[in-house]
Amino acid sequence: MSFIESDRGDRRGRRRDVYRSQLRVLSELCGCFFSVLFFVTPAAAQSAPAANSCLTCHTTQQDARLATPAALFAQQDVHRERGFACVDCHGGNPAATVKAQAHDAAKGYKGKPAGSQVIAACARCHSDAELMRRYAPKQRVDQAAEYATSTHGKRLASGDTNVATCASCHGAHGIRLVSDAKSPVFPTSVATTCASCHADATRMAGYKLPDGSPLPTHQLADYQTSVHYNALTKGNDLSAPTCNDCHGNHGAVPPGVGAIANVCGSCHAVFAEKFATSVHKQIFDKGCVECHSNHGVQRPSDAMLGVTGKGICQPCHTAEDKGDKGAAAAETMRTQFEQLKTAIEQSHALIARVKNAGIEVSDQELALREANTKLTLARTEMHAFEPALVAPIIKEGTTIVAGVDAAGQKGMGELKFRRGGLAISLGAILIVVVALALKVRHIDQRHRI
Amino acid sequence: MLQKTIDWLDERVDLSEIRHFVAEKGVPVHTQKVWYYLGGMTLFLFGVQVATGILLLLYYRPSAAEAYESVQFIVTKVEFGWLIRNIHSWSANLLIALAFAHFFSVFLLKSYRKPRELTWLSGILLLFLMLGFGFSGYLLPWNELSFFATKVGTGSAGAVPVVGHFMLRLLRGGDDVTGATLSRFYGLHVAILPAMATALVAGHLLLVQRQGMSVPLSVEKKLKPGETLPQMPFFPNYIMRDVLAWYVLLAILAALAAFYPWELGSKADPFAVVPPGIRPEWYFLAVFYTLKLIPSHIMGFEGEQLGVVAFGIVAMVLVVVPFLDRKALKGERSPAFTVLAVLGLVYLVTFTIIGQYAK
Repeated sequence: MSFIESDRGDRRGRRRDVYRSQLRVLSELCGCFFSVLFFVTPAAAQSAPAANSCLTCHTTQQDARLATPAALFAQQDVHRERGFACVDCHGGNPAATVKAQAHDAAKGYKGKPAGSQVIAACARCHSDAELMRRYAPKQRVDQAAEYATSTHGKRLASGDTNVATCASCHGAHGIRLVSDAKSPVFPTSVATTCASCHADATRMAGYKLPDGSPLPTHQLADYQTSVHYNALTKGNDLSAPTCNDCHGNHGAVPPGVGAIANVCGSCHAVFAEKFATSVHKQIFDKGCVECHSNHGVQRPSDAMLGVTGKGICQPCHTAEDKGDKGAAAAETMRTQFEQLKTAIEQSHALIARVKNAGIEVSDQELALREANTKLTLARTEMHAFEPALVAPIIKEGTTIVAGVDAAGQKGMGELKFRRGGLAISLGAILIVVVALALKVRHIDQRHRI
Repeated sequence: MLQKTIDWLDERVDLSEIRHFVAEKGVPVHTQKVWYYLGGMTLFLFGVQVATGILLLLYYRPSAAEAYESVQFIVTKVEFGWLIRNIHSWSANLLIALAFAHFFSVFLLKSYRKPRELTWLSGILLLFLMLGFGFSGYLLPWNELSFFATKVGTGSAGAVPVVGHFMLRLLRGGDDVTGATLSRFYGLHVAILPAMATALVAGHLLLVQRQGMSVPLSVEKKLKPGETLPQMPFFPNYIMRDVLAWYVLLAILAALAAFYPWELGSKADPFAVVPPGIRPEWYFLAVFYTLKLIPSHIMGFEGEQLGVVAFGIVAMVLVVVPFLDRKALKGERSPAFTVLAVLGLVYLVTFTIIGQYAK
């Protein structure tokens, strides 16, 4: 169908409108009757398909800009599935079959919302607690308020229409639930969704960090090398952080100075607690990021601790300065870690040998796991940067390993005993076999066999 | 001392018949007499199984909650418990290997021919019982491998047409492998199967003693009319050779137990994911692998069902081989049965090896 604006067409259209409105009244009456009859809720009644000339016309348009939104909305869209139609966001008259009537401003037609209109269009429902309770009672209704506090929201308010709005991340048509794996804001897709703008150097040109330096565009590339990205995409750990877990989603801002430890601490609580007691708490402007980086967080290793080799204490502390207490503390803790680590490895090898020989060592294996836990605890405690706090934990681990070693040596003794016993038994059996063979030969000769 | 005891017994229960039997019993001497030792060696291992099994019974607890821990206790805390358990496990495997060797030697030498049909019958049933011992005993340590292998094994029983589901429930004591299955397998392993095996072993031995050793057809054919084979006295010449073989077996068992201890693995967890590479014990591998190769459907029938039925038919045919082999019955060569035995042996060996390494 095409919009032909002629008088005849208008008259025919008006007649059809009258018939349709009469039919609608009739169907609503029937609907009410059946609602009362079967206790159908108003919300459910709303889901009955209504006349929608928007889709009828837009899906047949040659211009992809007009056809694609309708096609997407007609496929999988969380709003359409819950009974919403084009008119709920765009206004207009969906019953009209003529473009002029369908796009009638008097009927509230708004066309394509842009900039702050998008926020208003979404917020009309999503900030309405009473309405949202009917569809998603657990969902928050402060997204628009949060957005207003975000860098995106503030820039939009100041007239920058280049910034992200609701549709930039969630899409405008064909919107899926956040829990839908195909949604652009599903945890595994968030980083690429953010990067669609933030990795675009042209789009980001002109934006600056608080310190005045240009806004970088390599965050995604950095993030993709990180332990967090690895856990999320390869380990299928959907709780692993992506952009919005640190920056917030609707209220997205870069964590400010002093807030980074809190952000990391929301997951790494114990590390944050230890760090809060350390001398570095006062010195490190960027908290955890000073040592672990931000987007490209790598798997930490003991080698990071120290002022030699890959030690990252070096820029501030140096091995050459013998009076540097920080360097000495780092080296002391590193030495303790290495000692316990080596002891556990050696003990593991001993226990494996004993186990291979068939001697039960499950208690020792359990003890070694406990020793490993002590090593992990010591590494955690290290974030307070106080060797005196690390030493007792290392000592506990060393004591456990010593017990395992003793049991391992006992096992080796048992193995030696078994093999010795076997050698004696085999010797005895061999003597009997030889004696029997001689006897058989003797009696065979006697019987002339 | 021994003579005094024998005399004392002789005065009370006349031992003259036994004395006469011992003095008269002979074993034919020929080039293939080496196969005679297999039966005695299998019997020795059966004795080892009974002895070590009784010792294990003193500590083993047949429940899903305690079975694994009790075996762990046996191998770690009980004096020489590790030795007893390792010997029991290794001896079980050697016993089945020797039982198969004995079976094939008897089959190929046609020793089942008249008048030894009943000896064959009792021997075949004993072979099936030994496999039953292996299948039921494998689950008893209640470890991960045995649990899932039993699940697969009993699942195959469910494929038997008509009575499959009944058999599966009878074996498992329910729809799934649980503590109830363990109780059943324990009862089977330590009471039902031993009772049946003891009766059959006694019958088998009695028949062997009454009928004497069978002389292979090829040896018999070479004899001139009226010529007889030289005989070796059973006591002491043959029995000493048997004892010698048993000592060698004992040495092998001790070495295996000390150098290749039987793994206990981790405790069975019915809710765990099936670990990769689950397969039954080696003596069921050929059947297991064959069933795996059969397409899911053949001419409208379920492939596994057809496979199970085919193996059932093979087992029944084996039982009645002495009655089917008419030529052997008449003392003639029967190459068809020789070919069948060789093909069977090649199939078992090949499929066991492939089944072991197949993914």
